[in-house]
Amino acid sequence: MTESAAAGIHPQSAASPAPIAPTKIKVRDLHFYYNGFHALKGISMDIPEKKVTAIIGPSGCGKSTLLRIFNRIYAIYPKLEAKGEIVLDGENILDTGYSMNRLRSKVGMVFQKPVPFPMTIFENVAYGIRHHEKLSRADMDIRVEQALRSAALWDEVKDKLKQSALGLSGGQQQRLCIARGIALKPEVLLLDEPTSALDPIATGRIEQLVEELKNEYTIVIVTHNMQQAARCSDLTAFMYLGELIEFDRTEQIFTKPSKKQTEDYITGRFG
Amino acid sequence: MQANVGAVASTMVQEERAHRDARHDRLFSWLLKGCALLVLASLLGAAGATLWGGRHAFGTFGWHFLFSSAWDPGSDTYGALVPVYGTIATSVIALLIAVPISFGVALYLSEVAPTWLRTPVASAIELLAGIPSIIYGMWGLFIFAPFFADHIKPWLTNYLGNKPDDGKLSWVAQHTFVGKLFGSDYPFGASVLTAGIVLAVMIIPFISSVMREVFQTVPTRLKESAYALGSSTWEVSWDIVLPYTRSAVIGGIFLGLGRALGETMAVTFVLGNAMQFSASILDPGASIASTIANQFSEAAGLQKSTLMALAFLLFVVTFIVLLIARWMLRQLAHKEGR
Repeated sequence: MTESAAAGIHPQSAASPAPIAPTKIKVRDLHFYYNGFHALKGISMDIPEKKVTAIIGPSGCGKSTLLRIFNRIYAIYPKLEAKGEIVLDGENILDTGYSMNRLRSKVGMVFQKPVPFPMTIFENVAYGIRHHEKLSRADMDIRVEQALRSAALWDEVKDKLKQSALGLSGGQQQRLCIARGIALKPEVLLLDEPTSALDPIATGRIEQLVEELKNEYTIVIVTHNMQQAARCSDLTAFMYLGELIEFDRTEQIFTKPSKKQTEDYITGRFG
Repeated sequence: MQANVGAVASTMVQEERAHRDARHDRLFSWLLKGCALLVLASLLGAAGATLWGGRHAFGTFGWHFLFSSAWDPGSDTYGALVPVYGTIATSVIALLIAVPISFGVALYLSEVAPTWLRTPVASAIELLAGIPSIIYGMWGLFIFAPFFADHIKPWLTNYLGNKPDDGKLSWVAQHTFVGKLFGSDYPFGASVLTAGIVLAVMIIPFISSVMREVFQTVPTRLKESAYALGSSTWEVSWDIVLPYTRSAVIGGIFLGLGRALGETMAVTFVLGNAMQFSASILDPGASIASTIANQFSEAAGLQKSTLMALAFLLFVVTFIVLLIARWMLRQLAHKEGR
């Protein structure tokens, strides 16, 4: 309750749907500048724990930009600047002192196109773990198997762990990337249009996987596919031109949106 | 009726066109085959000509030619050991120095440097790669070799070599092969190591511009996903960028090695051209290319044939290097699980 009270201080009412779970990530008055271009204009929102939050909006609205701030992946490029607060478990991740290594072990990310590393399937999953933990061979085997099982990939690859990951199909590669992300046991999983390069069957499997994963992880998914947002998310945020227009329960957004722009977008009048 | 005639005419036109296309394609493929065969023919021709020119030397000295360090135009006895050793030693030294530095240059330019700096530095490197080798040789002879003799060589011989000025052997010189490698009482700058360093300076721009170009082909999303797992820039470079570009990087290194093996002018200037075998890299030596360049004008008879035989050996060395490169690539691919 205190969370929504805090949100109330800020003018943007879009930030506070009725809370459905404790807040995991609290975003306050977030601005983002890209080479001087004002890409995000004062975003405030509360992302609930162990739920799926979808971010939708037309191309260029800033939805991917927002996602890429949650693990500060933008920081590898020069001339990008974020101002405001993103509080994860009580700490502002935008503080210069916040350890990148810790942030990235807590917040995993899966990208638009499947990007397996040029290594074996096993190494792809083990690679990230090695950055954060020292495990014995046997423990590593267990961790890799767990991760592959949670990503619903184990049965398909258990006999070819020593083969190159580049030989897998697109859908399998994407699930491998999810396995790679959850192998670090993160708390938050960011999915940036994870199915945009996949066929409908592979997409279905990933959506099913998202449904299972939300029992353990806080998931934020950016998608340009509105049906996908409707199918697999609990909350949906609609963004337009760098602003958060509306943020509410998914069924609310898709049945009776409170803003005209949201309604226009979900009914296909623009975007 | 009219329409029918038109249809027949258009089929004829189409058939004619198909015939012409087939003829053109045939001509085109012959032309391409001819170009490729020309390369093959000139390779075989050059190898065959040197082998034929060297038949006299091979016939006179037999296998002994490869392992003999004799080189005496007076008694007409020749061996290939000194120039072959010099060629391989200078090139290996050049690679040992050039590869890590080129790697650093290329990584800096593709991963770390601010954007405004990348293009100017990259163009500067490409300009360096285009400088004629005689200029590197001149720089080596007039500037680097004297500096080397005054400042670097004394330190190396005294602290690492087995022939120090004060006669006191250092621990490394006494207990390891390093002593032999750095022992020298030759007072001038020309040496195998000097030539190796000049060669390194020469091939660094070459290798680093190849590396930079292949590093840029690594997809951004691949690097981002490694960063997202918590990798540092070093780890991304070493674990992702390098394996992804491995075969091209090895290709670039071996192209550089090929250049170093055959390099003539830069090496001739600073190698000292001594036809005496010495294991020390601080002693002067000779390479195949420098020997040929130095002696061709006065050579006749058996000596000329020997130089031809050396040229053939250079072919063989280069060929072996290429084979090793192929073999390494296959091993790496195997390790990656492909």
